[in-house]
Amino acid sequence: MTVTDARAPEEVSLRRILPPVVTGQEVVLLAVLAVLWVLLGIFTPAFLTAGSIGPLLVQVAPIALIGVGMTFVIITAGIDVSVAGMIMVCAVVTARTLVGADVPAVVAVALAVALGAVLGSVNGLLIAYGRVHPIIITFGTANVFTWLGLRVFDSSTVNNIPGTLSFLGRGAAGSTLGVPHSFALTLVAVAVAWWFLRYTRAGRNLYAIGGNQNAARLAGIKVQPRLVSVYLVTGALAGLAACMIIATGTSTLDQSVGAGKELQVIAAVVIGGTSILGGRGSVVGTLLGALLVQTVVSGVTQLGWPTQLGFLFVGVFILVAVGTDLIRERARRRA
Amino acid sequence: MTATTNPAGERGPQTRSRRPAWLTPGLLRDRTVLLLVLVVVLVVVVTVLDAMGLTSGRFTTDYLAAALIGYVPLALLALAELFVITSGRGGIDLSVGSMVSLTGVVFGMLFQQQGLPLVVSIVLAVAFGALLGAVNGVITAYFGFPALITTLATYYAYRSIALVISDQKPISGPEISEFYGAAKSVELPLIGHLVPLVPLGVFTFLLPVAVLAWFVLNRTTYGRKLYAIGTNDTAALWSGIETRRTRMLAYVTAGAVSGLVGVYTVAQFASARPDAGTSGSGMALPAITIAVLGGVAITGGIGRLSGILLSALLIVWLNASILLVVPGNEGAQAQLLALGVVLLGASLLSNATIRRRQAGGSGRREVPGSVSGTAT
Repeated sequence: MTVTDARAPEEVSLRRILPPVVTGQEVVLLAVLAVLWVLLGIFTPAFLTAGSIGPLLVQVAPIALIGVGMTFVIITAGIDVSVAGMIMVCAVVTARTLVGADVPAVVAVALAVALGAVLGSVNGLLIAYGRVHPIIITFGTANVFTWLGLRVFDSSTVNNIPGTLSFLGRGAAGSTLGVPHSFALTLVAVAVAWWFLRYTRAGRNLYAIGGNQNAARLAGIKVQPRLVSVYLVTGALAGLAACMIIATGTSTLDQSVGAGKELQVIAAVVIGGTSILGGRGSVVGTLLGALLVQTVVSGVTQLGWPTQLGFLFVGVFILVAVGTDLIRERARRRA
Repeated sequence: MTATTNPAGERGPQTRSRRPAWLTPGLLRDRTVLLLVLVVVLVVVVTVLDAMGLTSGRFTTDYLAAALIGYVPLALLALAELFVITSGRGGIDLSVGSMVSLTGVVFGMLFQQQGLPLVVSIVLAVAFGALLGAVNGVITAYFGFPALITTLATYYAYRSIALVISDQKPISGPEISEFYGAAKSVELPLIGHLVPLVPLGVFTFLLPVAVLAWFVLNRTTYGRKLYAIGTNDTAALWSGIETRRTRMLAYVTAGAVSGLVGVYTVAQFASARPDAGTSGSGMALPAITIAVLGGVAITGGIGRLSGILLSALLIVWLNASILLVVPGNEGAQAQLLALGVVLLGASLLSNATIRRRQAGGSGRREVPGSVSGTAT
C-alpha cells in the first residue's frame, strides 16, 4: 500500500478502523507453529521432509479454504454448521458426474462450485430474510443436505472415480516444484479474501454487521444481501474443497465424506483469532489455525502416539488460543 | 430474542415495554400446543395409512411404545441443553455427546472391570459427568469464554480421552449384558395388561430426572435465577444474583444428565462403546435441534420442560412412522429430511408470528443476527 502525503489524514483514520496488518494472535500462532515444527523435526526426523510436509499441506487445504468463507460468516456474527452436508452433496454429485459422463476437470470443478453456491445461498436467504438465528437454520439445512447427499449415494459407494481431478490430489500430478496445487489455490483464496476484507467497502461492511447489526443497517449498509453473500461464498468454497477431497481420496467415495468437517473448520477459525461474537477476525489467522490443527494431528501420529490423542490437543489449543485472545482483549479495553 | 436486552432502535418505548408482558407466555403456549397438535396429526395420519394398507408393518400402540427406547437419551440430552441454553450469554453445549461417550466408558470400567456394585457405579458415573460439566461451566461462567468455544474444545478433548482410555474398543462382559435389562421393555405392574410394554428406561431414567428438573425450574429459587440470568445477565447481577455460579450449575447439570445418558447407552447397546455419543454427526446436534424445536430460545431465558418432552416425542415417533411408511435405507435417510424440515418450519413459523405481533404491520425490518448481539 502506497501512501501519499495528501491522503495521510484519511489513511490515519482508516488505520484506526481497520484491524492491524498482522494481529497479535497471528504472531503467537506463527511462533507456536515454528516451535512445534522444530520440536517435531527433532523428535521425528521424517517430519520436516518434503514427503511429510507435502501431504500435510494437501490435508490443510480444504479446511483452510472453507475456513475463509467461515471467517466471513463468523465476522458477521453468524455461524454455519451445515458445511459437512454441503461437502457431501457436492462431492457425491461431482463424483457421480465424473463416473457417468467423464467430463473434463474444469466442468467438474465448476459444477461442484456452482452446486455449493446454490446450497450456500439457501442458507443465506433463510438466515437473512427468515431472520432466525444462523445456528438454528444451518442445523436444519445440515440435516436436509445430508439427506440429499445420501439420496444421491443411493445406499452404496461411488466406485471407479477417474483421475480427472488429480491435479488437486496428493500425487505427483498434484504439485509443482513441491507445492501442492490445492494448497496454492488456498493461498490465493486467502490473499484475495485478506484484500477484500481490508480494502473494499463490502469487506469492511462485514465487520460493521458483526459489530452491531442495527447500527450497520442504520448506517446504510445493505445487511441482508451481504449476509446472503457470505453464506453463498462459504458454500462455493465448500464445493471447491469437495473437489480436493475427491482428488486426495481413493477412487471410491463413501458416505462418511465430510463428516465432522464443520467443527474442524470452526476450530481453525477460532484458533485463528476470529471472535465468535462477530466484528473481529482475519483469514490469515484462519490459515494458521488450520495449519496448527493439522500439524498437531499429524505430529501425534508420527510420534507413534494414538491418533485420537491429537484431538485432545486440538481441544486444548482452542482454549489456549481463545484464552490468550480474551486476555489481550481485556488488556486493550483497560488501556 | 428478549426485548429487554435488544432495544429496538427507532421504535417507540411504549411498544417495547408492552412486548414481554403478553407476548412471551402466549408464544410458549403456542409452541406446546403446536407440538401437541403435530403429535396427534402424526398418529392419526399414520393410523389412516396403516388402515389403507400403505405401511410395511403394523402401526400399533406396541410399536409406538417400543420406539420410546430411543426417546430416553434424546429427551434427556435435550433437557440438558434446556438448562444450558436457558442460562443465556450464548449458552450452548456441543460436548454432551462426548460426555456420553466418556462417562459410558468410565461406567463400563467401574462396573465391569473393577467389579463395583451397580448403584455405586451409576452414582460415580453421574458424578464424573457432573465434573466434566463443571469444567465447561468454570471455563464459560468464570473465565468468560463463549460457550460455543468452550464446548467445541471439550467436545474434542472428551471424545479423544474416551477413545484413548478404552483403546478404541467397546467394553462388554456378563455384568453389562445383564444390565441390558434396564433398557428393555417391561409390563407395568397393576395396569400392565391394559397398556403396551414400555421400555423400563422411561421410568428408571427419564421420569425421575424430568420430575426433578420440572421442580427445580419451576418451584425453586435456582430456577428463577436461571431464567433471570438468561433473560438479562446485567439486570440479574444488579439484583444480587450470583450469575456466574448460577450459570456454572447449568453446565454441571448438563454434565450430570449426560453422565446418566452414558449409563443408559451402555444398557441400550449392552456394551460401553467409546463412540456411543459421537459416532456419525453425534448426539449433541440432534439434542440442540430438539431443544430449539421445543421452544427454547437460543438467546436464553425462555424454554420449558413440556416443550422439550413433546418435541422429543414428536421426533421419535416421526422417525418410527417414517420407517413404516418408507421402508429400508431410504426410510433412515428420510428421518434426516424430516428433522431438518420440521426444525426449519417451526423456527421460521414462530419467528414470523413474533414479527407479525411486534411490527403490527408497520413493516419495520429487524435483522436476524441482532439476537447474537445479546450474547456479548
